[in-house]
Order: sequence, then C-alpha cells, then structure tokens
Amino acid sequence: MDVPIVMPQLGNEIEEAQVDEWLKAVGDEVGVGEPVLTITTPKLTMEIEAPASGRLKEIKVAAEELAAVDAVLGVIETE
Amino acid sequence: MKCVLLAHSPLVEAAPSGLNICSHKYTKVRSEAPVLPRLATFRQAMPKALHIDPADYAKPGALAFPAVPVRTYARSLSEERKRRGDRTLRDVLRQMMVVREFESMLGAFKAKGAYQDIAYSYKGPAHLSIGQEAAAVGQALALQPGDHIFGSHRSHGEFIAKGLAAISRLAPDELTRIMAAHQGGALLRTVEKNLPSNSTEGLAENFLLLGLLAEIFMRANGFNAGMGGSMHAFFPPFGVYPNNAIVGASAGIATGAALWKKLSGDGGIAVANSGDGSTGCGPVWEAMNFAAMAQFCTLWDDGKKGAPPILFFFNNNFYAMGGQTIGETMGWDRLSRIAAAANPEAMHAETVDGGDPLAVADAVERKREILLRGDGPALLDVECYRSGGHSTTDANVYRSKEELAAWQAHDPIATFRAKLVEAGILTISDAEAMQEAARAQIRAVTAAAVDPSISPIVDIRAQPTLIGRLMFSNEQIAPPAGEAALLKAPEETARARQDAKKSRFGLTPEGEKLSPMRAITLRDALFEAILHHMRHDERLIAYGEECREWGGAFGVYRGLAEIMPYHRLFNSPISEAAIVATAVGYALEGGRALIELMYGDFIGRAGDEIFNQMAKWRAMSGGALKLPIVLRCSVGSKYGAQHSQDWSALVAHIPGLKVAYPATPYDAKGLLASALSSEDPVVFFESQRLYDVVEQFKPGGVPADYYRLPLGEPDVKRQGTDLTILTIGPSLYPALAAADALAAQSISVELIDARSLVPFNYEPVLNSLRKTGRILLVSEASERGGFAMTLAANIARFAFASLKAPPRVLGAPNWIVPGAEMETTYFPQIEDIVDAAMLEFFPERKAERRGIRNWNDLELARAGL
Ligand SMILES: Cc1ncc(C[n+]2csc(CCOP(=O)(O)OP(=O)(O)O)c2C)c(N)n1
Repeated sequence: MDVPIVMPQLGNEIEEAQVDEWLKAVGDEVGVGEPVLTITTPKLTMEIEAPASGRLKEIKVAAEELAAVDAVLGVIETE
Repeated sequence: MKCVLLAHSPLVEAAPSGLNICSHKYTKVRSEAPVLPRLATFRQAMPKALHIDPADYAKPGALAFPAVPVRTYARSLSEERKRRGDRTLRDVLRQMMVVREFESMLGAFKAKGAYQDIAYSYKGPAHLSIGQEAAAVGQALALQPGDHIFGSHRSHGEFIAKGLAAISRLAPDELTRIMAAHQGGALLRTVEKNLPSNSTEGLAENFLLLGLLAEIFMRANGFNAGMGGSMHAFFPPFGVYPNNAIVGASAGIATGAALWKKLSGDGGIAVANSGDGSTGCGPVWEAMNFAAMAQFCTLWDDGKKGAPPILFFFNNNFYAMGGQTIGETMGWDRLSRIAAAANPEAMHAETVDGGDPLAVADAVERKREILLRGDGPALLDVECYRSGGHSTTDANVYRSKEELAAWQAHDPIATFRAKLVEAGILTISDAEAMQEAARAQIRAVTAAAVDPSISPIVDIRAQPTLIGRLMFSNEQIAPPAGEAALLKAPEETARARQDAKKSRFGLTPEGEKLSPMRAITLRDALFEAILHHMRHDERLIAYGEECREWGGAFGVYRGLAEIMPYHRLFNSPISEAAIVATAVGYALEGGRALIELMYGDFIGRAGDEIFNQMAKWRAMSGGALKLPIVLRCSVGSKYGAQHSQDWSALVAHIPGLKVAYPATPYDAKGLLASALSSEDPVVFFESQRLYDVVEQFKPGGVPADYYRLPLGEPDVKRQGTDLTILTIGPSLYPALAAADALAAQSISVELIDARSLVPFNYEPVLNSLRKTGRILLVSEASERGGFAMTLAANIARFAFASLKAPPRVLGAPNWIVPGAEMETTYFPQIEDIVDAAMLEFFPERKAERRGIRNWNDLELARAGL
C-alpha cells in the first residue's frame, strides 16, 4: 500500500514551507516515526517522521524546493 | 568572508569528572539519540543536548541540603598577625574609624547642621552605616583593586573601604595615573592644592574622600559630576561600581558584571552588596538563580565553562527600615538559608560575624577562590547591626533601648580596638591618635567639600541643558569588523541557503505580494543585522527566553544556534528582571548586550531594570558610563489582554531610552543595525504581525549588505496632498490600504511611518503638513497617554499655522485588548482609518461610517475614559 508523506499544517497563516533535506534516499527502509526529512517555515526547522513503516518509494518534492501545506512530499510503500 | 571555526562543543559527551570547574555539577548529557515518544508526526529539528530520563526522576528518596556554616571563623589573632602583619591589622582599625567618622560627619550635618566647626545644610539622603564598618572593611581587605563592588543606598562605608584598600594595593605611579585621568586631572589638582599630603597614598585617600563627599553634596567635582549623589556614587578605577537606591537592584547588575569578567577574561570578581531586606525582592532571587544556571557547567564550551564570579554579600543588620527580617517580614531564620534554593551547593553560603572584620575578610577570601575557579555563585550572610537610624529622619521607635545597648557591647570598632590593644599591636594612645587623625582627615575633606570655591556647585542656571546633554552619548561604534569564533560558517546553515534564494523585494513585477518563503521578511531582515554584529563583534552577546533551539519565540534567531557558541547566545531563565539587569551590568563593564523580552507586555516584570537602571546610568554617571544595550520586545496579538499591548509610550516616557518601532523589512534591518551600533540603550519594538511581511516600499528591496538607518527619522512612505497619515508600527499597513480607499474618493494621502519614537525628527511631518494641513495619527496603543498623543500635541504646537483642523489620534480604545476573535474591533482597521479621515477631515462629503467603531470616542475622551 502507498502511504503519502504530506506537508503538515504548521500554523494558521503558513501556506507553504521548504523541504530542507531528505534524510532517506529512495529505496531506503524506514520505520514508523523515524525522521525522513526536514522542512523549514519562516519560523522553524522541523523533522517530519514517517507515517508508516516500509520503503521510501518516491520523493516528490526535492530538497530546497517549496511545497504547499497538504502537498504530498514523498511516498512510502508498505508491505 | 573568513571565519574562525571552533571545535563543536562536546555536548554529547558525559561531563568529565575530576575537573575543578563544575566537577560537582554532573548532569546527564545525552550520548545517543533517545527514543522519543511519538507525540506528533513532526517535531522540531534541534533537540536539546540534555536528555530527561523519566527513570531518573521516578525513584523515591529525600533531598539533602548541604550544611551551611554559621559563625565558624575561629582563627586566633596571633595567626592573623602572622598572615597579615600588624600594619595591616592597624590599618583595618584605622579604616573602620575613617568610615565611622565620615558617616558621623553626615549624621551631624543632618541632625545639627554642623560638624566640628563647620556649619552646612545638607539636603540629600544619609543612609549611614554606623555599626556596620567591619562588614565593609573586612570585605575590602579580601578584595583586589580589579574586583568590582556594587552597592545599595547604604554603601558609603563599602565605597570608602574598597577605595582605601585599592589605594593601599596600587603602586604610586598607578594611583597618580588614575587620579590624573579623572576629569582631566581637575579633582587631583584640587586635592593637591587644598588637601596636600607628602605621600601619593595620602593624596589618593584625600582624593577618594573628597570625590565621594563632593558627589554626596552633588558638586561638580564629585566623582560622578554631581549627577549621582549619596546613593549612587561610584568610582570604577578603584573597583567601586554603581551603588543603587533601589533595594536589591545591584544583585542583577553585579551578576551581569561578573558575566563580563568571565567572558572578557578581565579577571577578578563582582560583589553585590545589599541588605537583609533585599532578600524579599524578586529581582534578587532572579539574579541569584541566573548566576547559578547549570548551563555554565553543563553546556558552555570548555574554555568558557564555569559560573560568573559573583558574590552576593548581604549586610544583614536585622532590619529593613522598621521591618524585622527575622521573625516578621521573612520566613528564614538565618539569611544564608535562602541559598539552599539556588543550587545543590547552596551557593557555598555561610553566616559570618559581621562585627569582626577578620571573620568577614576570611570568608570573602575563601568565597573569592571558589568564584575564581568558576564554582560560584557564592552568598555571605554578614550579620551586623546599624546602631544609627535607617536614615536621619528615623525616630528609632521600633527598637528598644535594651536591644540598642546590647549591640553597643558588640560595637565592631571598640571590640577590634580592644583586641589589638590587648595583643600589644597598638597602645591606647596610638588608638586615640589614630582616631584623632581620622577626625582631622575628615574635617579637612569636609571643609573642602562644603566650600563652593573649591567644590563648585553644579550651575544649572549657567548651563541650563547640562543634564539634558548627559542623557545620551549619541555615539555609534564603527561598523564591526572583527572575526568572532563561530561554530559554523553562517553561509553553511540551512537558513542562509534558504534566504539566499529569496527575492530581496517582496512584490512581483505585477505588484503581487510574494510569500514569506519566497522573499526576505522583516524577520529575516532583523536576523541579517543581528548576524552581522554577532559574527564581527565578540563583545556582543544575545540572550533571553528561548533564544537558542527555539530561535527566539518568533524565530528571528532561527539558525543562529548553529553558528554561535553558548556563551554568545543562550537561553535565560524566565527572569525578565534578571535579563535586563544583567545586560546593564554586562554593558557598563564594557560589553554589548542584545536581549529579548518575548512580549512587550512583560516589560512590567522588568520595570525597574528598564526604567531606572538601563535608562539612568549614563546620566547618573555624569556621562562616564555607556550602556550599549538593545532590548528587543515583540508586540503581540491574538493572545488577549496580557499579550497584545503596545507599551511603546511607557518606554518613550522614560528619559534615557531610545525607542524604535519599524514596520518594514528595509527599515527593520537598518534601524536594528543602528541600535546595535549605538552606545545608548535602545528599546526595539517588533510587531508579531509583521514578522512575515515582505518589503513592499523600497523598490530595490532589502540590501543584502550591511547598512544603517539613523534612529529618529520618520519616513514618507507615500506622497500626497490632502491628508497626512502618520503611523506607528504595524498601523502602516491598514493605513496604506486606507490611503488606496481614500484615493478612490479623490483624497490624496501622504503616508508617513514614524519608525522611531525617541528621538523623533518632526521636520518631515511638518513639511507634509505645509502641503496637506490635516493629520491623522494611527497606532495600536490605547489612546490615553499613547505616543501618538504626544506627537499630536507637539504637532499642534509646531504646525498650528498650517493646520486646517486639529490633529486627530486614532488608537485603540482605553480598555483591555480582547481575544483574537474580537481583535479587529479593537485595533484600528482599514475602514476605521477611512472613517476617521472622512468624518473628521472631510465632513462635507457626508460619508457613511463603514467600520464598527460606532461609539462616541470624543465623549469618552472628554471624561478621561
Ligand atoms: C524597590 C524599593 N523598595 C523600597 C525602597 C525604600 N527603602 C529604602 S531602604 C529600605 C530598607 C532596605 O532594607 P535592607 O535591604 O535590609 O537594607 P538596610 O537599609 O537595612 O541597609 C526600603 C524599604 C526602595 N528604595 N526600593
């Protein structure tokens, strides 16, 4: 099953944030709760954790790109 | 740009054992990433280095407190003779006599208008320390000239004792150099002429006593040019730093001074002198906790590890005016008990006999060693008794004759004198001659201090703006160009890479606003000015609540923790008073401080520190001290009555503070650079609503390079001919939209952003009024007493001839700020500005009210409500 990693809602007024860095490469195993990427808003830098265990199947927003809240940043494929 | 890289601080290693500094302060430092509970799918990316393990806190047990020694000094006089020599012991007695004679002289002037054969009416305060001389002289005996003491309203004794001790330790050449450097040598020449001595030391003593007494009499040749007086006098070259009329205020200031000593490597310790009553003061507790912060040991880099060398020295005379600290106003039974609250070492506290100068000296010497090792802070409870009144108007109704008599038997001078005589260190007639000499010395100094031909009065008639000129130095440092040690090159941080890609201007060619992720925001602009100063000026430190991992409560410092070591950027405790007071001490010693209050609404928590300390010390030092402090205060919104107030008028009201409140990224960067370069204290307001705004006015955008904009210059943001709108802070934006709406009704608005409150150049506003003849002032502060009211009153005076209508202030109503849901009913909105403009200045247009402010504000204003 494919589980999307989405840009979280980070505050009322924030509409987009930047993907800073992918901590995993496509094909890497990830466990649920493991940090997979960092993002930055005008105020904060945060880690985003894997929503499910599996394999990082696809990166949809590359490092240093901007993405809107709710955008799919990547996909995890579970067993 | 070159930058010096520090090795990464060893945050992830366990605290080393066997080290002198901080060895007792073992705290678990995380060695590997812990498995954190899953609270959310994302978390902040810079976790703390210290791991909090629930298992560590789950075990039952009991806390033990270290035993606090009480009066354990037991060295025999013969041992002291060997250690210190008879000459020193005799001098201890003599110094106590000089202190007492000095205080008795002031007491006599207050009581009888005469001392010996000198008649004089002294109008000022006299909080005398008769009975407490051993505490002052014992302390000074243990200090070096480079140790700095900060005192209270009752500090003449400490001043004299520290000065005499410094004089006895400094070489004659050095003494001459110090005296010649003060006031261009004027005081030295006066002393040479009127109080000559055949030794440099004797001359320096007269210099010390005259400089102090002339200051107490507020004479121009006083140490602080007559601007300090009895409760504020000081003389840094002998290590005597500001005394303070606010009870307990020296605690935080001295702690900041100790921080400077630690970071600059200047050496020595700082001493906060105060009374037992000051243990009831919140800011004293804040200062002790600040000095005891564990991070000095757990987190600061090896080279900077260790607590600031600060000794809290309580002259415990059992009374705070008429309140008895033991048994009545405080809960402690012995003052030193309070130290147990500060840290596991109980601040190495001791209670000592303040009636015995050698017991005091012994304790201070031992604490000084601990402090120089970095193992502070330390606390001494020095029990003594003030045999005179609190002040000279004290009728002593609160003490019994029996109590006074009982303490008389413990008089420090009589007791010490008897001891020395008994041991054969001096004879009775030696002691009497010593007393006579002290009397003669104080008489001669007093004669010189009362005589206006020797000690001129401060002639305000001849120089009416003398005090005004002392308020600000108006100096700026050159653009900082040093290379501070950094953890990482700023260019390598994620923030720098991100900001580098942003547009410097906030609008697209089509006039569309860019998102804060795509253009430099006001937050980024502030960061650029801060980063420039931080990386090029090692003296500058930044701290406040949540400044490090959190990046400041609103992210202005985001990324700075990757660049700056702990000793340049640190989280403070939730101690607004200590944040400001330590900055005052740090700055007046030679440092530069950038401090932050999360919300302007917390100014109240640091009221004394901002209004009486940060604002006053330049003028009270006669212009000798500089206070390069920038106090950043965000102005909130959405959190209701205690988190959303614009208090800029409160600060602007206080003489001695410069005040800025920029509203655009371009202005914010340039003004903050000026504030950080200023030698005067600046309160810098930032609206939380504006942190994300992008530059919309300056077509070239925010320059990437460093630049400064002068404080005090309002800026015309848009030209117009019919109506001037002058805004303070975030009101610029609704006013801009209102100007568009008014343009649609063919009213041309000239829009001016105040940018600064103090100073403020009225010229651009008056120029504008020559065109428009009408002015509306808009701010988010409640109207009564708001700064817009001050501006309006002055504008009415300055531009009366050009005005077609009275100036109108549109602020917030004089009631609490409601919650987020109701905020638009409170802060002036676009429609409110349009309404005020139309109804007030163009009534003939008979416009309909569009906003909700359908109340009679004129009637409220007339009722003062
Ligand atoms: C903040 C503040 N509150 C009150 C006062 C008025 N006041 C001046 S001295 C004093 C008593 C202080 O007692 P203590 O600290 O024990 O010092 P002592 O006068 O005994 O030397 C008071 C209440 C003040 N100057 N500052």
